[in-house]
Amino acid sequence: MNLKKPLTVETIRLDLKGETKDAILAEMVDLLVASGHIRDRDAVLKAIMEREKRMSTGMQNGIAIPHGKTDSVDCLVAALGIKRGGVDFGALDGQPSNIFVMTVSPDSRTGPHIQFLAEISRPLNDAAVRTKLLAATSPDEVLHLLIG
Amino acid sequence: MFSSELQFIFQLGILIVFTRMGGHWLRRWLHLPGVLGELIVGMIIGPYALGQFHWPLIGKLFPLGASGSPVSPELYAFSTFASILLLFLSGLETDLSTFLRYSLAGTVVGIGGVVFSFFLGAGCAVWSGLAPGWLDPRALFLGAIATATSVGITARILSERRKMDSPEGVTILAAAVFDDVLGIIVLAIVVGTVRVESDLGVSWSHILWIAFKAFGFWIGATTLGLLLARRFSRMLKHFKSAPAIAALALGFALLLAGLSEMAGLAMIIGAYIMGLSLSRTDLVQVIQREIEGLHNVLVPVFFATMGMMVNFGVMLPQFKIGLVYALLAIVSKVGGCGLPALFCGFNRHGAVRIGVGMLPRGEVALIVAGIGLTSGAIGQDVFGIAILMTVATTLLGPILLSGSFENPAPGLRHPEDIAQSQTKTLFLTFPSPDMADFMASRIVRAFRQEEFYVYRLTPEERTYHIRKDDIFFILEYDGRDIRLTAPARYETLARLMVAEEMLTLRSMLHVAQANSELNTMEHSLIAELFGGPQDFKP
Repeated sequence: MNLKKPLTVETIRLDLKGETKDAILAEMVDLLVASGHIRDRDAVLKAIMEREKRMSTGMQNGIAIPHGKTDSVDCLVAALGIKRGGVDFGALDGQPSNIFVMTVSPDSRTGPHIQFLAEISRPLNDAAVRTKLLAATSPDEVLHLLIG
Repeated sequence: MFSSELQFIFQLGILIVFTRMGGHWLRRWLHLPGVLGELIVGMIIGPYALGQFHWPLIGKLFPLGASGSPVSPELYAFSTFASILLLFLSGLETDLSTFLRYSLAGTVVGIGGVVFSFFLGAGCAVWSGLAPGWLDPRALFLGAIATATSVGITARILSERRKMDSPEGVTILAAAVFDDVLGIIVLAIVVGTVRVESDLGVSWSHILWIAFKAFGFWIGATTLGLLLARRFSRMLKHFKSAPAIAALALGFALLLAGLSEMAGLAMIIGAYIMGLSLSRTDLVQVIQREIEGLHNVLVPVFFATMGMMVNFGVMLPQFKIGLVYALLAIVSKVGGCGLPALFCGFNRHGAVRIGVGMLPRGEVALIVAGIGLTSGAIGQDVFGIAILMTVATTLLGPILLSGSFENPAPGLRHPEDIAQSQTKTLFLTFPSPDMADFMASRIVRAFRQEEFYVYRLTPEERTYHIRKDDIFFILEYDGRDIRLTAPARYETLARLMVAEEMLTLRSMLHVAQANSELNTMEHSLIAELFGGPQDFKP
């Protein structure tokens, strides 16, 4: 699938400010709002939080993939954030999370959602890619690393 | 003596009842594919067997027509409709993205099988003296009948042996897609050629012209169909009701079938093109679901009607030629598909497995034979030979394929190819079969929501193929176990999909346990069963 469309330089932030899981999630939703893709910020945040309540999306090696479905978006939207020091995200391996990929897609329409998450996450399995991501100095560099 | 309408209704009723029962029993007792059971039932109750006898009250069940035709015009029209429906659904089930992108091995194996089968099939007619030359309709039809593989039977064996995701399994399924499309093109050319021949006599220039016309119609209609498919599906969606959408799609398939007949091709080609065009839209599942019931009733009648056309008296003298044709049909697929497989990284074991996997002929062979007989291009002798071959390959295919997997030796020549073709299987065991069943349906639903194309192999199999572009998963469930097989490259996607559904299950169980309303609902349903507070008044 085309990963370029949802993830753009406008929805990538290299220096997330939040120090808690909730703050990081809110900051990333704001990133989506600022890019003009979202109609109802609170509904999106609620969908993301509800999914987190079921089980944290903090995986291993500092990667977290918060996601949710709501009709407050018209199509799949995505954001990527980096928090170099990491925050406690309740990750599977108990380590702080520092690379966040957020995806929100419409609830009542069919289309890739998990597939996007899986494809954007695939390069992150490579430790070298993660190191380069954390050292990236521009959103373009991040896009180049993930999408080519 | 009944009126023709009443006789038709009786015939239809008998066909539906006996094909369903016969198909069911043969499948259950002899593990034969349903299509074979339906074909055999048709032979038994048809005009050349039990159907010719006088029965008390009703007289002859299936008498020969005035012109000696084995089925009445009404029944023939009905079975033509069933064949159009069958091919429309086949087109709808074709995964065109996979067809366009599929591996080199699938392409080469599919083309090899079609070319070998056509020439050996047609050659059999010439060498046995049934046809005076290669361009005789009998030779052309025996060639066309031999081409199309019925992959449903093979898929069942692969699924039973857990070999669906093996390099051989994936190649067979890929090759079968090519096989289908090429088989239809061959039929288009053969039907067109035969029609020209009967009008103008044999001439290479005419044959080339009709082949060009058939191919042109095929390419033109398919391209136009694919270009207009999204617009057409948007138009259908205006009707907002699934039954209306499915009925309209089927109506248009019939119209295109008619146009294709007018263009000098067979009706089923138009129906197949209509299905193929819609196969890339999101209406596939809606149409399939709505038409499935109609398909279940009508298609067995079609196979039984084909069985009814078998004239044993005419067929028996040609029995030897029939056996040779069946043998050549086996050799042509084993050789035609197996040899190219040897050049695509497979060793002897792999090549044999692919060859025998492509062996069974079924639905399309019967349709092509039926078109040949009713158009007068072939006689009942050639038709009988074609049926014999279909029965033989359908019976032998599963036995040989099972046997070829007895030896566990790998089918690929180089170990690095084996590593490349590796798949990952997620094994999940649930506390109960009910829960596994529920989870399988959730996973299927989740993939559909991601716009994957999911279809169940046959109603009897608990195996689903899940496809999108070049991604191909296999979901199988049995008892408490679920297995999801994914190419190693897409393991992350498989894991995430299943994990999300597991979370949903867990949260549903949690809510169900904590929710007192569910308890109240359950209690009130049971409490009011026998003598409780009665709200219901008759």
